[in-house]
Amino acid sequence: MEWSIDNSGPRYIASFSETDGKLKLSKIVSDNNEQLIPDISISRDEKPGRILIELEGVTSFAHVIRSDDKWWIHFQGHIYVTNMHEPGSKDSSLSEGSLSAPMPGTILDVLVKSGQRVRQGQTLLIMEAMKMEHRIQAPKAGEVTVVHFQKGDRVDMGQNLVEIGE
Amino acid sequence: MFPDWMNNATQPFDSVLVANRGEIAVRILRAAKESGLRGIAVYSDPDKGSLHVETSDDAIHLPGDNLSETYLNMDAIISAAKQSGAQAIHPGYGFLSERADFAKAVQSAGLVWIGPSPEAIETMGDKISARRRMIESEVPIIPGEELAIESDSNPLGVLASSAARVGYPLLVKASAGGGGKGMRAVYEPKMLRTEYEAAAREASAAFGDGTVYVERLLTGSRHVEIQVLCDKYGNSIHLNERDCSLQRRHQKVIEEAPSPAVTSEIRNAMGIAAIRAAKAVNYEGAGTVEFLLTSKGEFFFLEMNTRLQVEHPVTELITGVDLVQKQFEVAAGLSLGLSQADIGITGHSIEARIYAEDVSKGFLPAIGKLAMWRPPSTPGVRMDSGFREGDEVTVDFDPMLAKLIVHAPDRPAALRRLDSALSEFIVLGVTTNVGFLRQIARSNTFSEGMVTTDFLDNVSLDEFSQPQIEDSILVSISAASNRLGIDRYSRNTNPESSLIDEYSGHSDDPFRTLTRSFP
Repeated sequence: MEWSIDNSGPRYIASFSETDGKLKLSKIVSDNNEQLIPDISISRDEKPGRILIELEGVTSFAHVIRSDDKWWIHFQGHIYVTNMHEPGSKDSSLSEGSLSAPMPGTILDVLVKSGQRVRQGQTLLIMEAMKMEHRIQAPKAGEVTVVHFQKGDRVDMGQNLVEIGE
Repeated sequence: MFPDWMNNATQPFDSVLVANRGEIAVRILRAAKESGLRGIAVYSDPDKGSLHVETSDDAIHLPGDNLSETYLNMDAIISAAKQSGAQAIHPGYGFLSERADFAKAVQSAGLVWIGPSPEAIETMGDKISARRRMIESEVPIIPGEELAIESDSNPLGVLASSAARVGYPLLVKASAGGGGKGMRAVYEPKMLRTEYEAAAREASAAFGDGTVYVERLLTGSRHVEIQVLCDKYGNSIHLNERDCSLQRRHQKVIEEAPSPAVTSEIRNAMGIAAIRAAKAVNYEGAGTVEFLLTSKGEFFFLEMNTRLQVEHPVTELITGVDLVQKQFEVAAGLSLGLSQADIGITGHSIEARIYAEDVSKGFLPAIGKLAMWRPPSTPGVRMDSGFREGDEVTVDFDPMLAKLIVHAPDRPAALRRLDSALSEFIVLGVTTNVGFLRQIARSNTFSEGMVTTDFLDNVSLDEFSQPQIEDSILVSISAASNRLGIDRYSRNTNPESSLIDEYSGHSDDPFRTLTRSFP
């Protein structure tokens, strides 16, 4: 498996040596480069969803759970999320330059037309979800190639809203 | 069968329908059960399996796809009450709680309304009538004047004398303006002319109206509110203040009691003003009078919320008064049974609102399944929530997941307790603001008690991002967990493999060792 913290960030592959059910980190590789690694060993705990972590000689618990392809971690009082990827898979299921609805809702206003040039961070459309307004902004500068919805349309989570070309 | 405590009630009831959902419905239904009342829930389709339905003695389904057909449907709720034999209705907060017509309909249906009179709701619900009533009752309101400016007169003379009475800095608002248009801040007298003209220009389309409103501009103020309790016999007390200055776009984030900015003199004066406001509308039950408290210690009436507040628990913790139980008693026609002298302040309480939202994405509401939900459970920590582990957070309702309320002997101890409770709150599967709340509560401004309502607008939110951790640690934890098969849901769906843990020999069932079970 490959791992990332940020979906568009670096991918990591971790290797462990195993003794009596305890996994000791031996190597992390990203882009064929071996990374600096901490001294960390992880083993199963009797409580469901809980693991035992020995990090630099200090033992503590973490709670972990998988939800789809994300792993959620509660460790040292903070919550983190990592992404699990099949080896060699693409960054994301969506094509680059498209913008998907972050949640189901209704399009309140469309502020751009296809063919229009937009700058990074420019508001493209406004949608309403959970009784609040959300601005959908351009992730990069470029030309709007397709606008998939119009004012008043209902959209589902993950639906492509706008495509931006170079 | 009426519970014993209702013996002397003029309007006794043995059951209450809660016309709400989520944490507040759970809170009220639990209070009902505790008080020997039958608790009846209503629910719409998405709430079929919700905690508030589970908490009730009886639950009535409200058919329909949207809120106006369900939780906002007065007729459906009143007939649910009839159908279930409920004798009283508690509206909670939000939804129908501040609808005078609903209160009236409940009463006309012969049911006990747990709230103030429809007239009180109506008067306080309208800004202008509330303001007028407060002036009559000598409750301080934000200084302001309405001026009718004739088109051929010299407006500046009239304006300047009005501005001098109101005091600087001030806001000049063209009545015809709106949405920030036609409204200008004036910080000193010599700016009055240019700013007034700018305001007039902005509102020019409808400037024929000619009415200008001059109001004191109160920057760097706090939102401080007073909890009041009144019975039907003219007894009114206040239960101290709550400070709700930590807000984001008028949405409260953290509330506390007592306020770090309120002295006992301010508390007394504000308490008297709040009681006067409540008496001005013959208020009954639990209500909240909101004030703006300036840095100079002046305070002004903002509005009165004629219902239970989200943040009521902090008041309950420092006063020891169960506000929902008191609402039941007052509605039943019992007298308060408490005098002002009975109300003290024990320790300090802070409430943090846990929202399903992604702070790093502009507070975008988050959805998903609460795959792991383990609220902290230690002395001095209270959690009010309508969610359980495994529940789905959807776009159907408000994204507030829970209220985490701490109580400790003093403010520094309450802050430490809040930090520790937030750090122990294991909520996985849905993005929440827990980390953000923790960083805010640790910030210097909040821990020194210096937060004003504009605090979050004037700081970079990066200041509150959680401490960084090495990618390699997170990758190790995830990759190892994956390899160890730490995946509760997939184990549960396969009963064969869930019996025995291949590494430890233990299973989830505490009464089972290897293949033998001890029932």
